[in-house]
Amino acid sequence: MKKTLYALAGITIFVVLWEGYKLVGNPEGTVLFGVRVLPRADDLSMPHLWTVLERLGRPELTGGRPVWIVIVQACLFTLGITAAGFVIGALVGLLLAVAMQRFRIVERGLLPYVILSQTVPLVALAPLVAGWGGTIMPSWATVSVIAAYLAFFPVAVGMLRGLQSPAASGVELMRSYAAGWWRTLVKLRFPASLPYLFPALRLAGAAAVVGAVVGEISTGTRGGIGRLIIEYSREATSDPAKVYTAMLGAALLGLVVAGLVSLLELPLMRHRRHVEVVTL
Amino acid sequence: MSAVLVSSLTKIFNQGRTDEVVALSDVDLEIKSGEFVSLIGPSGCGKSTLLRLIADLIAPSTGTVTVAGKSADAARREQAYGIAFQQAGLFEWRTVLKNVELPLELRGLSKAERKAKASEMLELVGLAEFAGHYPAQLSGGMQQRVAIARALAVRPPLLLMDEPFGALDEMTRERLQSELLGICAQTGTSTVFVTHSISEAVFLSDRVVVMSARPGRITASIPVTLDSRDEAARQSPHYFECVTAVRQALRGTPLTSAS
Repeated sequence: MKKTLYALAGITIFVVLWEGYKLVGNPEGTVLFGVRVLPRADDLSMPHLWTVLERLGRPELTGGRPVWIVIVQACLFTLGITAAGFVIGALVGLLLAVAMQRFRIVERGLLPYVILSQTVPLVALAPLVAGWGGTIMPSWATVSVIAAYLAFFPVAVGMLRGLQSPAASGVELMRSYAAGWWRTLVKLRFPASLPYLFPALRLAGAAAVVGAVVGEISTGTRGGIGRLIIEYSREATSDPAKVYTAMLGAALLGLVVAGLVSLLELPLMRHRRHVEVVTL
Repeated sequence: MSAVLVSSLTKIFNQGRTDEVVALSDVDLEIKSGEFVSLIGPSGCGKSTLLRLIADLIAPSTGTVTVAGKSADAARREQAYGIAFQQAGLFEWRTVLKNVELPLELRGLSKAERKAKASEMLELVGLAEFAGHYPAQLSGGMQQRVAIARALAVRPPLLLMDEPFGALDEMTRERLQSELLGICAQTGTSTVFVTHSISEAVFLSDRVVVMSARPGRITASIPVTLDSRDEAARQSPHYFECVTAVRQALRGTPLTSAS
């Protein structure tokens, strides 16, 4: 209940800021020493929010389907790509983290490259992936690979921290039980890493959405929300509200993914919900 | 057969490097079956190191450790001892019952057996009604009792404790000391108990082993023969004599009489 109120308050604040700025802002934008410090507030750059909402209900092209249906379909397409990328990325991240925890030398040798992998610009990499992968898999799959490439990173780094998080006494305890590496992993390190894993998964979810959207754009994959944003932005001069509908869709997609990821958490973090302390 | 036999044990950390530390030098110690022995000494005297060597958590530089007639390594593999540390170290994602079940799980016991044994141990430490709670819901003293129950779950012939009550307040401490004695008497477990509290060592032990630092070695072994281990014992003249003897041994003044 409280959460819903906060969410509504957040939306209200956004609406007030947007429409408020439109009301008082300079339609040509504020330029200071030749640098535009505040954006244009005219209808072309910032359409009224109700215009955007109303645009959702009207047909995409004359006589076509309403925009909202097109956007929901595009979002579902991209959601599929994101999900595939997220799953692949999370698995790769998990395996890397386990390997790095197991072998010190792997951690030393691999971790710099894991970090380096994220400094390569995605727009440079995406066409390469599309080029290599295009011959062996459908284009949606290459986009998934790009999404996975972004998603594996937070999981690998977060999970490594989590696997290394148990106190020395816990590790010694497992040793005193004559538990080997595998059983220590299953009984101690994995459960102990969950509080690190879930925030990492949430980041990975967001990264997978970005990867999917950018991947669609740079590989020219049709059918997804990323492609739709590009298509609609070409019409921005004649129909400025249209591109905002697509952006709204992309934002909602991000929220849905974040929500789905946090659903994973519920059954696994039961112990975190009990806080009251009994004393005896 | 002795529960623990340590002979000419030496442990050097970072051997051959500039930060080399001789933690233990030529230590001999025998703990008889059913005996309760405390290790006491200043920080850095190697008492925790000695306990870890007996537990085979670290390997000795030279010398041997025998636990119940077997090498320390074999004893660890057979879970021939239970261990408890200063921090309870419970797994926060497991309920109290599941925490106590952990060593049984790793031994491959069936679900029903695990539950029965773990419940019995919780009964022993007086926490049966908290079986379904999570560790974060318990006070420090209760958590430490769960840790003791966990250490005893496989019914080991030997219990190793590293300042288990060190982080607790005085009142909880004294109550747990009495409970521990009751449990050890009931189960017939031999115990090695590391502490830095003289009164705790004397009250609990059949024998107090005094250690000194740099290099870590055993300087005295003081037998304690209290008639009973209750509140009256804490007031008895013999108790105070032993406390004095341990204190003198810790200070390094010549030992006169300990009986």
